[in-house]
Amino acid sequence: MRHATTLRIGPATFRIGSAWPQPIADLSRLYAAYPAMTGAIADFTVRLQPTSLMRRFVRPSIFITGDHGLADAAPMSLSHGLLAAEMGMNLQMALGWRRHLLLHASSVEKDGRALVMTGESGSGKSTLAALLSERGWRLMGDEFALLDLETGAILPFPRLVSLKNRAIDVVAGQVGDARMGPLLRATAKGDIRHMVPRADAVARMDQGAMPALLLFPRFGHDDDVRLVGQGEIFMRLTQASTNYVALGEPAFAGLTRFVTGVPARAIDFPSGEAAIAMVERLWEELA
Amino acid sequence: MPQLNAIKAYRRDMEDVVTSWALDDLLLLYHHRSGQTHMVISPVPEILAQMADGAVLGAADLHDRLARDFDLGPRADALAEIGAHLDALVALGLVRPA
Repeated sequence: MRHATTLRIGPATFRIGSAWPQPIADLSRLYAAYPAMTGAIADFTVRLQPTSLMRRFVRPSIFITGDHGLADAAPMSLSHGLLAAEMGMNLQMALGWRRHLLLHASSVEKDGRALVMTGESGSGKSTLAALLSERGWRLMGDEFALLDLETGAILPFPRLVSLKNRAIDVVAGQVGDARMGPLLRATAKGDIRHMVPRADAVARMDQGAMPALLLFPRFGHDDDVRLVGQGEIFMRLTQASTNYVALGEPAFAGLTRFVTGVPARAIDFPSGEAAIAMVERLWEELA
Repeated sequence: MPQLNAIKAYRRDMEDVVTSWALDDLLLLYHHRSGQTHMVISPVPEILAQMADGAVLGAADLHDRLARDFDLGPRADALAEIGAHLDALVALGLVRPA
């Protein structure tokens, strides 16, 4: 590939190659504070390549591929190149990571203990993690929480935080433009803008924390806190994991231990501020 | 796929061993041979427990074993339900036709 960079995020190293310079330039700026990995052997390769040779020049479209690929991944516009790179890294993790149980969840840490938040895209888990990380919590990740099956700890995977639609202005207003990526308009998930984690999240990205609270956030509803049964929690977490089946019995043992040992609640909230008050209160009561 | 409604006797053997874990009122079963996790509720755990010795059992035998510990209600209804559970367990690979 003509343009390339190597990034380490938590335990995973990615080599990202691109036929165009812009996605790599964006990544280099936004991941500038991450460890320099020049020449390192990567766990995964991500390739952003033209859908056809002509497409590199005429209405360029990106095809995301790498060690693991999805046959029906739709090509993306070059103007969304940064998103393509981030999606490519997620895809490699989701399909290929075997060292930890991967949970589709955000996580933040305080006093050495982790809060894990899982939910569908749009649930508010990324936004909540971003807002908490500006209020004394350490961001561990907005997309994947890595459950260490030997120790039961959650390990960080603090990539850029992917903010969508209304969350963009809420967060950008608090962190400032220097820590925000370019605005990517009209992607498949609406408008997207990436936030660079605070320096402590990057400096401590090798430090895990024992999970102390699990939340199922849901944005856009009146304030509510509900108990969730352990069976439902287990089912939702297996659905939120891309490698539960692949990891076999250790995953079963690790996940049952997590479900049995970590208090959990489902929370609804109408705004980020309401959610933060609710999270802080539940943390005091339960964690 | 066996003809489920034709099966008259069932058994478990060592290869059908599962690791189980209780969560609230349900039971998780990790099936070593297939790597699948099953989520079951009563009476499935009770049926599997009665088959743990590997004996070849028909629905009627199982009914009699279960009836020692549980009030199963009318025999015909209980037999039909036990038979349906056994066939479902065969389909999952947790029990095999004898």
